[in-house]
Amino acid sequence: MKNSMLIAIREWKERMGSRSFVLFSVLGPLIILGLIYLMFAFGGKSKQHWNVLVADPTGIMGNKIMASEDRSISYAFADGYIEMEEFANAKKYQPYDALLEVNEKVLSNKMGFVFFREKPSVRMQTRVQYHFERRLEEVMINEFTSLSLSDFRKIKQPLSVYFRDVYDPNNQSSDLSGWVGFFYGTIIFTFIFLFGMTIMRSVSREKSNRIVEVLLASASPNQLMIGKIIGVGFSALAQFLIWIVMIGLGLYFMRENLFPDILNAANLNVYDLALQAGDHSYQETMFTSREYNQFVELIYNRVQFVNMTAFFILFFITGYIFYGALFAAVGATMGSESDGQQFILPLIFLLCFALYGGYYVLNYPDSPMADVLHYLPFTSPVVVMVKLAQGYYVQGHVYEIYLTLLLLIISAFAMLGIASRLYKNGILQFGHRVRLKHIFKWLQNPN
Amino acid sequence: MLEVKNISKSFFRKEALNDISLKVNKGEIFGLLGPNGAGKTTLIRVVNRIVQQDSGSIRFDGELMTEVHLAQMGYLPEERGLYKNMTVEAHAVFLGRLRGLSKKGVQAKINYWFERFEINDWRKKRVEELSKGMAQKVQFVCTVLHEPKFLILDEPFSGFDPINVEMIKQELIEMRAAGKTIMLSTHNMKSVEEICDRAALIHNSKKIAEGTISELQSERKIGLYAVRFKGSMIAFVNALWTGFEVQDKEVLGDDRFVIRIKMRGNNSFEDLLKVLIGQVKIEAAWEVLPTMEDVFIDLVQPKILERHEE
Repeated sequence: MKNSMLIAIREWKERMGSRSFVLFSVLGPLIILGLIYLMFAFGGKSKQHWNVLVADPTGIMGNKIMASEDRSISYAFADGYIEMEEFANAKKYQPYDALLEVNEKVLSNKMGFVFFREKPSVRMQTRVQYHFERRLEEVMINEFTSLSLSDFRKIKQPLSVYFRDVYDPNNQSSDLSGWVGFFYGTIIFTFIFLFGMTIMRSVSREKSNRIVEVLLASASPNQLMIGKIIGVGFSALAQFLIWIVMIGLGLYFMRENLFPDILNAANLNVYDLALQAGDHSYQETMFTSREYNQFVELIYNRVQFVNMTAFFILFFITGYIFYGALFAAVGATMGSESDGQQFILPLIFLLCFALYGGYYVLNYPDSPMADVLHYLPFTSPVVVMVKLAQGYYVQGHVYEIYLTLLLLIISAFAMLGIASRLYKNGILQFGHRVRLKHIFKWLQNPN
Repeated sequence: MLEVKNISKSFFRKEALNDISLKVNKGEIFGLLGPNGAGKTTLIRVVNRIVQQDSGSIRFDGELMTEVHLAQMGYLPEERGLYKNMTVEAHAVFLGRLRGLSKKGVQAKINYWFERFEINDWRKKRVEELSKGMAQKVQFVCTVLHEPKFLILDEPFSGFDPINVEMIKQELIEMRAAGKTIMLSTHNMKSVEEICDRAALIHNSKKIAEGTISELQSERKIGLYAVRFKGSMIAFVNALWTGFEVQDKEVLGDDRFVIRIKMRGNNSFEDLLKVLIGQVKIEAAWEVLPTMEDVFIDLVQPKILERHEE
């Protein structure tokens, strides 16, 4: 273990000192922040008008929704129940683009459904959800509490709004939270692949410059491989933390300077709002900031963040060990560094497959294929993130996440075992052409 | 110090070592010789526990060898490398620590060995800035840094200029004097004669000879003697009778010659000296032993010819 730690520390120092690490640490978060900025500053410029019918049979909303100043959404209210099929086909409902169903239990189960005819933009979904949620807050404060709006927000439960195609209601469309999960999953995979490639290159470089034989005289191939996986892993984690801190600071900076925060109670001044209501540009700013805040709220409050972060770290680590071992084994079986070229395509294919898996589950979370992808160690880290963000596991499927984690841990150890054999046998083979025949023989040979 | 017993190793169907046994005594320099591809490096890797043998055992200092003994060993592989973007000092610290030195201990050893090999100025240089010879020196220092009891060097002289070769040789001789044991694999037969006490020769994955250098040479001597004298070449030849055969002569100038002679019949070295005394002024006379290069060729060549004939 001491040898593994020494090797890990050397790897860590080498990564931390490399130019690419510094560049990636700075550029990565800047690009993401830039995209977030663009998304929320300019994302709403393309106008689309939506007529939304609010079906509120128990009159919870009181025929009111906080959007009188919103030019892109018009709300109308219906008192009775509206069957989905009726809404889809009846002539009188055709002018409406979407049906917001406010069921009688909304105040307790915090769930709302929007049935749309054409898939709305993310921005439009955000607006509807935002309006609905703010109105419900008012209702709840009036009905149940004597708290101020800001105090209430501290204790309230988040509202889940599910967007479904009225013509295909069973195919549950992705909600925003799912995308957050997909984003997390993508981050996991980006890091795993970038640092997995680093492991692979590092192993093949040690082979090609022959330092490996000196190392093997002091440390076993297993210690060498594990040290490398740990060292590169910690540098990945360090880079990830740098990203988190930089993105966090960036979001904070944006909130403080670029978008005024109207969700903040101190800024919520009804008089000001009324005064500025006629000013369109101000409204627009308000809106972007509202959406922005909704995004921030989504990330920091709505998504089960503690849960998600804990599982994110667990799946990040186990997923990394699984793939790290795979990459180390590939590096060890390579005859020369240039052999890496031929491995890049299948590895990129694997990356695309994992990301597509996440995207697929985002769109078809209940399909049988989603179950397979959920348990498959190649895709599970991203799929679990998506499902976790969608709130899938609170609906009585909690054991599934642990089962997936267990499977991934077992797979990671199995992969370590396989990689260890390939590593032991392949690490001292130089200048050969990689043949499948050799790989099978190495796998059979425990020495 | 090291006892290798019946070691065999195959890579898939290719046999790399076939029932090899040899013994390296404490405090000696042992030469491991053999043509390319004979199995020397595989044997060295087995001893270093880099490769696991299929059968056979290794005893180190009387005990069955385990991972624990690796800290008492130093290994300089033939194809050695360094991390190009690490500094010389960081490299030495890393390898020293891997060999079991403590954080403090490694620094003290670095100070000593860097001073001794005059590489103190390179401490902060990155390996990629060093010339090949400089890098070789660093590699050697990294190998001996933890002052191992048993040192395995695979082609230690390759890549060095003659001055550094001499320096390494002297270092090895001093280490032997200090009680260290050294196993040396090299194709440089002159070095083997100069510094090795004993040697083993491996060919086609089998050990074909083992013994002290003089034993190996004596086994292959062909009764050739040399005489260096001053005087007339004619007088010298006249003094010899049919019992001796002149193989070749070397003219040294100032009427001095070295003649190599083979005995015929039962004639001995003493008989030769008897007939020469009084005829020429003998400066020196000795039995000509084959060089290690001759021994090497003599042992390996027939086997190669045999294989070709088959």
